[in-house]
Amino acid sequence: MDLTDKEYVERCRDGHQEDFRVLVDRYQKPLFAYLAGRLRDGLQVEEAAQESFVRAFLSLKKLRKPESFYSWLLGIAGRVAKEQLRSMKHRQQDCEVTESIMANAADRREDYPLEEAIAALPESYRQVILLRYYEGHSCQEIATRLDLPLGTVTKTLSRAYALLRQELAARESAEPTVNQTELP
Amino acid sequence: MNCAECRENLVACVEGLLDREESLQCQAHLETCAACRAEHAAITRLQRQLVARGQTTAEVSLVEPVMRRVLQEQKKTERETIMSTILKHRWGFGLGTAAGAAAIILIALLTLPKTQATAAEAIAAMTKGAQAVAQLTSIHLRGQLRTAPQDNFSYINADCPFYTIELWKQFEPELKWRVEKPKRVVVMDGKSTVMLIKTDDTGVKFPQRTTSAFDTEWLHRIANLSNTISNELDNARAKGWKLSLTEETRADGKLKSVVTVLAKSGVPDNDYCKNTFMENADTRRVYRFDAQSKLLESVQIYLTRPSGEVQIFDLSQIDYNQPIDSGVWKLELPADVSWAQLPEQLSKLPDNEKYASMTAQQAARAFFEACGREDWNEAGKFMSPINDRLKEYLGGVKIINLGEPFTSKDYPGQFVPYEIKLQPQEFNVRVSNANAAKRCVVMGMYDNKLRLQQDFKWSTEPEVLTNNDAYARLTPTEVVQAYFDAQSKLDWVEMHKFTSESDVKETKNQVEAAEKQGMDVHKLMPVMEAGEATWSAEQSAWFVKCHAVQVKKWNIAVRKDNPAGRWQVDGGL
Repeated sequence: MDLTDKEYVERCRDGHQEDFRVLVDRYQKPLFAYLAGRLRDGLQVEEAAQESFVRAFLSLKKLRKPESFYSWLLGIAGRVAKEQLRSMKHRQQDCEVTESIMANAADRREDYPLEEAIAALPESYRQVILLRYYEGHSCQEIATRLDLPLGTVTKTLSRAYALLRQELAARESAEPTVNQTELP
Repeated sequence: MNCAECRENLVACVEGLLDREESLQCQAHLETCAACRAEHAAITRLQRQLVARGQTTAEVSLVEPVMRRVLQEQKKTERETIMSTILKHRWGFGLGTAAGAAAIILIALLTLPKTQATAAEAIAAMTKGAQAVAQLTSIHLRGQLRTAPQDNFSYINADCPFYTIELWKQFEPELKWRVEKPKRVVVMDGKSTVMLIKTDDTGVKFPQRTTSAFDTEWLHRIANLSNTISNELDNARAKGWKLSLTEETRADGKLKSVVTVLAKSGVPDNDYCKNTFMENADTRRVYRFDAQSKLLESVQIYLTRPSGEVQIFDLSQIDYNQPIDSGVWKLELPADVSWAQLPEQLSKLPDNEKYASMTAQQAARAFFEACGREDWNEAGKFMSPINDRLKEYLGGVKIINLGEPFTSKDYPGQFVPYEIKLQPQEFNVRVSNANAAKRCVVMGMYDNKLRLQQDFKWSTEPEVLTNNDAYARLTPTEVVQAYFDAQSKLDWVEMHKFTSESDVKETKNQVEAAEKQGMDVHKLMPVMEAGEATWSAEQSAWFVKCHAVQVKKWNIAVRKDNPAGRWQVDGGL
């Protein structure tokens, strides 16, 4: 069975930097989807996603709750996206930059709470959601990979859905934000 | 099935995990219960959202680029390039590294400067240029760069002739790009990024798509004006670069907005690497926009040195949104391509500590000594790839002297001065008398396997000399020997009787550059002998077999910012 986020974060901090690749592999797709909801095009999103991971890596030592790695990563990504948008806006004020870029970005802001809600799930639930939908594994494959009975995977998925819906409902009335208590 | 049982099974139901009987029971309950139907609809909606997310991110592959950046950041690597100046001076300055006939045709502009505007207005002009190409689907840039044809994409040298450098970039339906110099090309075909150095048939592969790679970023930046604006503006703020805008009217009455950026690299003037790459050069960059269409039409970059300005880059062909032939995204690789190992994939050796604890000078010595013994396994611990070309070049080499290593602000490794004696090298010279003067002249240089190294382009026919007959009677071998002799005596007039003006100019430049660096040119000049000549009916020319014994004095670049912490030869051979 795979190590938890906390264990990988701790291994990276102990000098096993190569293990960071597991965390990148684990969260690259939801992070990409999250940024795609905020930024203009694939290229910008890819750059922002890379930048977020790199900043996260460089700040790993400052992460107080290693088990919250993904939620913390989304916080970083949110700031990277904001910086990109602000940088465009700044130039606009300076010298009439590209309104269409800003408009485009604003148009697509409705999608990203889903990734934030996923980030709020306990790790075991989040893992099943990511494996099922972002990695495209069937429930049977997840059961084999995690060495769990199929029934347990199904139940975990059901519970994950319930938690996700609760989280999304709670966010519906609020402004979308992510945990920003731990700044990198 | 009651409501509680149904809801417990709803996720399994939308996931298709229920057996037939359970599924039928569930469906039956849903038909009769509006509350459970609503619950089912909500779960189905969420599932669709999740599935859509997975589909849109199916191709995302960030692991390698992130890990590369992580390692780079960690080691404070400043440059993306991994192979620099490989075999840059293979033939020594005696034979010249570049044919000089690639003359550039500069656009003659009749300019009438009218107004001098502020930096903000300069940025505004660039911004409008970016807006004018907001719907960019593809771009093709074709420019001329003073560089060595096989060297890095951002390598500049004011003493080199201009060579064509091109960028093709497709943004839709998926990102693809290609950058090409005469002897170095990189293609990102949407899946992976492969570079080929043609002089060595060396390949380097990143197994994923990239937005730019190696040191092509400066050219990508021009293709993406938003990035250019961002870069120039950030630097203007951070480093005090000066931006200005002028307007000019061409002879045909068309108005152009000209943005000039005075870029200072911040690298000290006495730094070894200063002005060798775009990123560490002090330059004046001139972006010319059409005042009506707002499109960027040309870019000129000038190297600004204390001794004066030299134009190093001229971009006058920019094709926007033109279809790009699919062949551009295909890179034909030679059958015997040698793949370079990526530094970030370098693994530790069983006796890694022995290598990790070496000084830069010890590493350079160990590398040259391994080459001298032709122990390629050992040499391979310091460099990748060790291909046949390198073996031919450095096999049997003897170290005369190694100097104290030094560093550059712009390079994460160290440079070790060296003086080595190379094994005699065999090569071939192509000569032909198919010209108006009817005398044999040098047309090209080939290696020992008759692979073209340098094509001598004659901008004008060889002239008829006053004593032309005497020269016309010389055999091909005698002509080549006379060419070598004139060269070793630095007799440029005599040399020009056998070779093109550009070759003479190039050799002269190299000699002068070497003298400026305090080298004893006569001592370092290779001793070259011309041998047997063979007629090639196919090429309608003579091939004269030659060999050269050469002492080489230069600086080898080594760096150890890799996971194994071992010194790796990065250039300067």
